[in-house]
Formats: sequence, structure tokens, C-alpha cells
Amino acid sequence: MIISTTSLISLREFFSNHQILICFNGPISTNVIGEIGSALKKHIESNHAPELEVMDVFSVYIEMSQNIRNYATSNGFSDSESSATVVIAAVEAGHYAVCAGNLVEMEDGKALLKRIHELADCDKAQLKLLYKQQLRQPHTQTPGQGAGLGLIEIARRSSQPLEASLDPLGPGRAFFSLRAII
Amino acid sequence: MSGESYPENSFELYDQLIQWIEAYLSSAEHSLRLELHLNYLNTSSIRFMIDIFDSLQTAFENGKEVLVQWMFDDRNPRSAELGSEFKEDYTFPFLILSINA
Repeated sequence: MIISTTSLISLREFFSNHQILICFNGPISTNVIGEIGSALKKHIESNHAPELEVMDVFSVYIEMSQNIRNYATSNGFSDSESSATVVIAAVEAGHYAVCAGNLVEMEDGKALLKRIHELADCDKAQLKLLYKQQLRQPHTQTPGQGAGLGLIEIARRSSQPLEASLDPLGPGRAFFSLRAII
Repeated sequence: MSGESYPENSFELYDQLIQWIEAYLSSAEHSLRLELHLNYLNTSSIRFMIDIFDSLQTAFENGKEVLVQWMFDDRNPRSAELGSEFKEDYTFPFLILSINA
């Protein structure tokens, strides 16, 4: 299907209706992560409710996008396989939703889903304990092995339990989506 | 050190720094004071800060004079919390100070 000017306006309406501030869909690079991050920080700094910590939104965004990038790198994914979908939207009462999705091996996706559900059941004190334990795990030089700590950080910064889903996408693979509300 | 740290590969950034700190602390009677103005660290950077603080802890236990001054801006309470969570795990002098005071 060829994009038309009318599809652009309907895309714009979709963004507006969902209060989407920033959206990215494509191969994610270090530069893209950095530039979107700066734009996000500037936007929230000038608009946020007093009780919201700007750095919480920024941190969740950074950890999610770096997790995706590390995963794609360590799996030797091509540019098109490394494509990420990142959406940051305003939600009611001064909160923000940070969502990110990417292509994963089905088995990795299932393990991630299980991990997210475990984290969603933890209270803040349990999350802090897990965080401290994970920090003391030895460094791994293999990129992509750091996802554990990033996920705990995301859960700690969130004001609601994390939500995740897994949609089959080709043989043995799936699209993994994660949403955090800050 | 000051600013925000969120590289994808923190090893490249922190490895040299950690080596320098370890070499410095292992030579003679050096004392070390680290003044940190860190607004934000990603988890990958936090892991390496732990290595730095571990080196300081070891030096402290060996009788070296070490001090961390963690400076934060009142507008960014998350920085103060980050400093406090680091401090919890160590016994060497670790001050958390507001730059607005």
C-alpha cells in the first residue's frame, strides 16, 4: 500500500486521539535513542505536573530503548530486524505512558513475559531488593545480558504495574510489547 | 565528574576511569576525594559506579583516606535518592549535599 496524503491526516488524528507526543518506528540507533531522549526531556520539562519526576520518564525510555538495541545487537539482527516501535503518550492526571516493542525470538519473548509478570507483582520494597541483588551480579561482557537490571529499573519508576504482550510474527518469532505508566 | 551518563556501552567510558582510580589508590599514601554532580545514570552506568565505589571501599578498609561528595540539585530529587542508595552499601565517608544549600 502506498502512503497517501489522506493516510497522513488519519495517522495524525490517531496520534492526537491517543495523545501521542513522540513516536518512532524503524531501525533504532544510538543517535536516534539520544535525539528522541533529548526531545522527550525538553518536552516534559516544560509541561509536566509538579508531582511528576521528569527523570523517571526519561529513565524508563532510555532503559527500554537500550534493552531493544542491546538485544538486536547480541542476536546479530539486521537493520530491518532491529526495528523498534517506541511511543510516548500523555495519559490522564499528569502521567505518561512509555511503550516500546521489538522483534524477538519466541522463546526469549515468553521468558520476558514471565519476567514482566513477576515484576508487576512486586511492591516497591521488593523491587528495590531485586535491584540491589541484580547490581551485585557479575558483569557480563556480552551485550544484551543487562536487560535484567533495566527491567527492574523500569518497574521501579512506574506508578502502575508493567503490562506486556507477545504477538506471533513469522516462524519462531514474535513482536514483544511493553508498556510502563509513569 | 558531572552531568548525565547513559551510554549503551558503559564499559568503554568507565573502564579507563576505573583503571585510573585503582592505580591511583594502589600507589603510596594517596587520599582520594570524588566530587560527583550526577543528574542521571542509566543502569549500565550504575553498574560501573558500583565498581568505583567498591574500589574506594577496599582502599578505605586498607586505611586510605577516601571521601565521596555526592552533589544534587533540589529540583532533581531522584539524584539524591540515587546517591542514598549507593551510600547504603558502603562504610567510607559518603556525603550527600544539596547544591542549593
